[in-house]
Amino acid sequence: MVALGRLLPGRRGRLAPTEARHGSRLTPYLFLAPALILVAIFVFYPIASVIYYSFTDYDIITPAEWTGLDNYARLLGDPTFWKALTNSIIYLIATPILIVLSITLAIVVNRQLRGIHIFRALYYVPAVSGSIAIGISWRWLFDRNGFINSLLVSIGILKEPVAWLAEPDFILPIAIMLTVWAGIGYYAVIFLAGLQNVPEELYDAAEIDGANSFQKHWHVSLPALRPQIVFVAVISSLAALKVFDEIYVLTNRTGGILDAGVTVVFYLWRQAFVLSNAGYASAIAIALLVVTLAFSIVYVRTLERRLETD
Amino acid sequence: MAVVTRRRVRSSLSVTFWYAVLVLMAAITVFPLLWIVLTSLKGPEDPIFSVPPQFLPGHPTLANYGKVLDTLPIGSFFINSILVSICVTALSALVSALAAYPLAKMRFRGREAIFYLLLATLIVPVQLTYIPSFVLAVNVFHYYDTILALVFPSLASAFNIFLMRQAFKGVPNELIDAARIDGASELRIWWSVLLPIVRPSLAAVAIFTFVISWNDFLWPSLMLHTRENMTLPVGLAALQGLFSSDFRSIAAGVAMTVIPILVFFVAAQRYFIRGLAGAVKG
Repeated sequence: MVALGRLLPGRRGRLAPTEARHGSRLTPYLFLAPALILVAIFVFYPIASVIYYSFTDYDIITPAEWTGLDNYARLLGDPTFWKALTNSIIYLIATPILIVLSITLAIVVNRQLRGIHIFRALYYVPAVSGSIAIGISWRWLFDRNGFINSLLVSIGILKEPVAWLAEPDFILPIAIMLTVWAGIGYYAVIFLAGLQNVPEELYDAAEIDGANSFQKHWHVSLPALRPQIVFVAVISSLAALKVFDEIYVLTNRTGGILDAGVTVVFYLWRQAFVLSNAGYASAIAIALLVVTLAFSIVYVRTLERRLETD
Repeated sequence: MAVVTRRRVRSSLSVTFWYAVLVLMAAITVFPLLWIVLTSLKGPEDPIFSVPPQFLPGHPTLANYGKVLDTLPIGSFFINSILVSICVTALSALVSALAAYPLAKMRFRGREAIFYLLLATLIVPVQLTYIPSFVLAVNVFHYYDTILALVFPSLASAFNIFLMRQAFKGVPNELIDAARIDGASELRIWWSVLLPIVRPSLAAVAIFTFVISWNDFLWPSLMLHTRENMTLPVGLAALQGLFSSDFRSIAAGVAMTVIPILVFFVAAQRYFIRGLAGAVKG
């Protein structure tokens, strides 16, 4: 039995790992079963359900009533939905900012200075504190009576305190700043690991060729960091598309004045769980899925290629 | 000689410069939480807003902590958070490690299909599933308002499965074949041969999962209704509603919940950073 298994050729002509020793074809499926059952119940079934609900009038409590394309028609004419979608897409600006800043930080901390470990740990603090806790701390920094106003009035930039989070124009930028601020240390650690795999000789060679330190990093570090850049771009833009916690805390559950801070997931939450319009919220969820898929196709291709070549 | 000195001056200048950059960055990252901790110690006479800003409390007090502890079951929040995070971490690591073994090391019908199916779940925004999951929690599994509702939906993580699959792929086939010749069952091989080898990846998966679960907010806020059943982030959000304009008490609540996770992080930092680094190899 064992020998039979070993005779099966693998894809690259190597001997394939055998199937189960007792010849059971079921073994791999048994290993996969718990994961597949969980994915079926908590991912695939919900997707199918949400597609169905999106064609119904549903409030979670009474049975869903088929209404055809009504929810989608409503979606197209709903200015708040378009505002939410626009805000979520604007939020993607966090990704390039995060990549540039966290690579810069990684290059800065990638040197042998005494105490560097302490700094690296400090940069990580926001990422492990949790979005609710840091959201609350930012809400109070930017409060009318908060630190930012104390500071700006003291140094004379402002004459009077500003209620930053009550200004429709400021909510989204502040939320994006919060996301960037919280993410820099987290992503920098990923880039740092990439930098530490770059052979020193490459930098020496660049130096001999007369590269200044910016050119050294541009021509050596950046190409070496390509896999990490792809990874961070994927992770951070998928996170940006589904931002919720920051908006929830900064606007105290309201979405901000004139819905200035409403994102797609926030709107989904409000429609489903505050206003009990689960059918309509399901249509919003499908819209979110479509947008996410569109953004992901390019990314996933790259990621997939990388996973396969490893 | 002159050249050497000049170079030395330049390099000590540059070291000073880099320290200045590092300190500035650290100040920016840590400041909001530091401000929270300082504010939580402020007495009623200490202003929150003042020109210029007052950093240190003039009349330091722990009264704000007492007020929060009297109003909210912070202890229960902690216990619930710990229970949920430990269960999710242990079970998710187990489920992912089980699923990853055949995906990495066995040939069987449907392997590619299953792999891509799991890959596809990576891009599905989890919030998409909340409405049906809510219905399931209430009508089918009857775990609404219990912490079980937080455990089961979080167990199947495609991300963890991929991390473990990568780790298993790095194990030489010869080791597995040798164990098979010795008559070990597949489960035995998985447990006694593979898992010990991939322990660093397992640790990375565990730490990732723990932190994500510890900080998870939206789903727990939908599921947990009774105060005694809440996890820390849900409790914190409730705290913000309860003490709406009492920033000193809110700050005390935030400080109480953040400091333990920071201590945990400092203790596990090495694994954390190594895990994060190992997750994305070039």
